[in-house]
Formats: sequence, C-alpha cells, structure tokens
Amino acid sequence: MKQEISALMDGELFEDDAEGFLKRIERDSDAHKDWELYHLIGDVLRQPDHIHGDLSAKVRERMRDEPTIFVRRGHAGNQKMLTFALSAAASLSAIGVVAWMSMQIGSEALPSLAMQQNSVRPVKAQIQRYNSDYLMAHQEFSPSTDMNGGASYIRTVSYRSDEK
Amino acid sequence: MEVHPTSARFLTGQMKNNSKRYQMARFCAALCGVLVAAVNAYAGSQQGDLDWLKVVAFAGHQTDYSGIFVYQYDNRVETSRITHVVEMDGEYEKLESLDGPKREIIRHHGQVWCYINHKMIQMNSQGQTPRSRFADLLPEQLSSLSANYQANEVGMERVAGYNTQVIFLRPNDSLRYAHKIWVHTDSGLLLKASVLNEKNEVVEQYAFTQLQLNGNIDRSWIVRDVSAGKQKVESIIPSDNSKGITEVNSGWTADFMPTGFRKTKEISRAMYGKHRPVTQMVYSDGLSAVSIFIEPDDKDEDDIEGLFSRGAVNVYHKVTGSHLITVVGEVPPRTLIQVYHSVRFNGGDYLLGAIYCTFMPE
Repeated sequence: MKQEISALMDGELFEDDAEGFLKRIERDSDAHKDWELYHLIGDVLRQPDHIHGDLSAKVRERMRDEPTIFVRRGHAGNQKMLTFALSAAASLSAIGVVAWMSMQIGSEALPSLAMQQNSVRPVKAQIQRYNSDYLMAHQEFSPSTDMNGGASYIRTVSYRSDEK
Repeated sequence: MEVHPTSARFLTGQMKNNSKRYQMARFCAALCGVLVAAVNAYAGSQQGDLDWLKVVAFAGHQTDYSGIFVYQYDNRVETSRITHVVEMDGEYEKLESLDGPKREIIRHHGQVWCYINHKMIQMNSQGQTPRSRFADLLPEQLSSLSANYQANEVGMERVAGYNTQVIFLRPNDSLRYAHKIWVHTDSGLLLKASVLNEKNEVVEQYAFTQLQLNGNIDRSWIVRDVSAGKQKVESIIPSDNSKGITEVNSGWTADFMPTGFRKTKEISRAMYGKHRPVTQMVYSDGLSAVSIFIEPDDKDEDDIEGLFSRGAVNVYHKVTGSHLITVVGEVPPRTLIQVYHSVRFNGGDYLLGAIYCTFMPE
C-alpha cells in the first residue's frame, strides 16, 4: 500500500490505476493518513521552513470556529439586487440570530464576535475611520471626559495608525 | 469638616464670573487637598464614596499636570502624553500619541482641534457655551448615581509613584459597566481608571506611568488662535452657521433607556465628512453616556452596518427605513442594541422626520 502511495505521488502509476487507488485511499483511513504523512514528508524536504501538520483537519477546525458574518455591506446597486438578495437575506438573518443570542446569553459574546469579524475583514480600517467621527462627537458630551479628562479622547484617535 | 465637597460646585460657579480666574484656579487646585480631606471624613458611607467623583472631576479641570499614560484595550497598549494647564482664558489640554504616526488633539473652551494625517482639523465647536461639568452635577443626578451604582472604597494603592484611594463603582444592573478608579489622595486627580464587564474582565484601562503635578509645565504649545498659526486648519463648521451646533427638538425619542439615564442634550450638528446636519441626542446616568445619531440615509456604499467596539465604547450603526441610526456609548453592546430598537419618531419640527413618519415601511 505504502509503495503504491509513493508511486502515485511520484506520478509512476497509470491513470486508470491511479483513479482506483485514490478511491481506495478515500475509503481507507489508514491509507489516508499515510497519504497525508507522505505529503508532509515531501513538503518538509522541499520547504523545511513551512511545515504543515494535518492541514485539512486544521482548515475544517478553523471553519467551524469562524464567526457568523453579521457585518454586511449596505445597499447593492439595483441591477445587482437580484444577485445580492439571497446573501443579504442570509446576513440579515445572521444579524438577527446574533442579536437574539446576545439577548439570551446576556454576555459579551457580541463584541468578541465583532472583534473577530473585524480582524478577518479587510473593511476594518473603513469601519474605524467612519466610527471615529461619531466617537469624537459622543466624547464631547460624555461624563467620561470629565472623569478622565482629555485622556478619554485617545479612543477617538487610537487605531488610526491602521488606516491608509 | 466644614468644607463639604459640594463646595466644588459652588467654587466653579463663582469662577465663571471672576476676572481673576487664573489665580482663582490656582487657589482651587490648592483647595482640592482640603476637599479630599473632607471626603476622607465621609469614608465608608455610600454618599462619601460618591463624593470622590466630584472631587475627581473638579481636580481634573483645575490642576496643571503633564504626564505619560498607557491606554489598554483588546490586548493593545498605546502610550500617550497629556498636558493640561489652566490659563487666564480657560483650560488648555494637549493629548499626543507617542506610538505610531503623530496624532494630536488640542482642546480649549469646548473646541477640539485634531492633528491627523499631517492636517490640522477643527473637529467641532460649542462656541462660548461652557459644557456642563461633572462638578456641576445636579442633586437628582447624584441620587441617580447612588441609585444605580454601589460605590465602595476598596483600598489604597500606589500609581505612578503617588498614593491613591481605590474606589469601585458596581452597577446594580447588567445594562452598564462597572468602574474602578484610582484617585490621587492629595490632588484628587484620577491616576488610573478601569472599566469592567459583568464577568469582572477589564474592558479598557488608563493608567499614568509618569506624572508631573503643578510646577513648571511646558506651555509653549499653546496657540491663542490656532487658525492664525502656520498650520492650515480645515474646519467642518459650515460658514453659514458659525456655531455648528444648535439645540433642537427633533421629535425623535428612545423608548428604552436603563434606569437613571436622562436626556442631557438634543442638538442638530455639523459632522466631519457629512453634508447635512446630524441630530444627536445624549443620555447620561452621570457616569456613562449614550449618544443617538440620526441622519437621512444617504445610501453610501461605504457604510458598514453592524456593531463595533473600541475599549469601553461601543457603536451600533444601522439603517432603519430612510434613516441611518448610530448609537454610541460606554455601555455593553446589549444595551446599545436595545436602545437602537427603541428609537422612533414621535412628531416634532423636523421635516425629514415627518416624512419618515408618513412613509415608514415597517
């Protein structure tokens, strides 16, 4: 079996044989592990700086942990309406679910989700630029300005460094 | 114990009419110590612990200081320098970032200038109307504070080389954050402040690492008229409205607010990057505030709806019908979202609001 895997990876099997063999690997979990191990060995030999252990499992894991998307772009153009209708509906319901969850759980789940979302979306800087103006306007009248003095204004300019 | 901390309010009231404001301010700063002593006499009682807040606000306005503080939130730490001096014509304050690109904020008499991306921008102006001070807290606001927070002295700690009294303000509900403050026992200045969530986790924190009190503080940065300086000043205030802010009765209202939050402002204002005036309503419980911004939806493709956090301040931003509603506040996100869903138009002199009411899709 291991010899066959090695042969397949080196491109030494005929096309018909290779197809049947790939199906066998799919069914046989031991063979599957060997297949991944051989690829890892190959990777290490070629690029010792980038070693990936069981990559597919990690990808699956990360996808499971990925937060529900609830930051959505506003207003698609009319001609794009149809295309976006479904995705908009989906993200709207996601907003609903997240909002509902936060009501139920009553915890800080929501901001942590928001932060994760920020960290994976390229729109991050945009959100921050946009909101800084509201923060500035709010800060003027907040008692926290009286308590902390101008120090609380740091919120309004903080993170600006990420922008371009 | 004749000097009760409420004399802070009396003194600031007096100062408004005093031409020798500067000398008076010096005197007041010296008086802070006396106030602190008075508050110490009340130590242990709920009212006495709340009086610390008045001392803090008073000291913050009347003390000359310069120092370096760290601001910490979401695993980030930023270092900044803050300088605050009281001059003949009022307070001047400069906040400058020491990390990353140069960012600077100068505040004087309700005006804010912001140096960002190599540009000096005048962010807003409240004209000559002095804003309400914490030291001017009305008795009912103070009773609202004591009704909604449990204030307790929780020990003495050293911060930036100074002795501080630590006070913990725990809210009676989960609709607001808990606050922990470290107050300099001599000057009454706030040297450290933490905002905590209901799991007792720190949401954000400020702390001085170095501080110079009174004495010889650099004043060379004070420019009497910023617009007269060499730097080009970009103003957001439209030329036809020199104040940029007008008190209005917008007709908008929020049905839900945590207990003790009262409306402290309702204005129509110019905002940076906005072509039309924005309605802003501010509600406060004396310690935290919630602002509701309402503006006609301009169908801006770059508008991102959703929740956004920076330290203790959360922002919830969403289009409802034909309006864009933004709720900002130092309260947990859950509270903001609840407030957002309770915002409605209730009639008033605001034409756009009236149109909205007639054609409301929901």
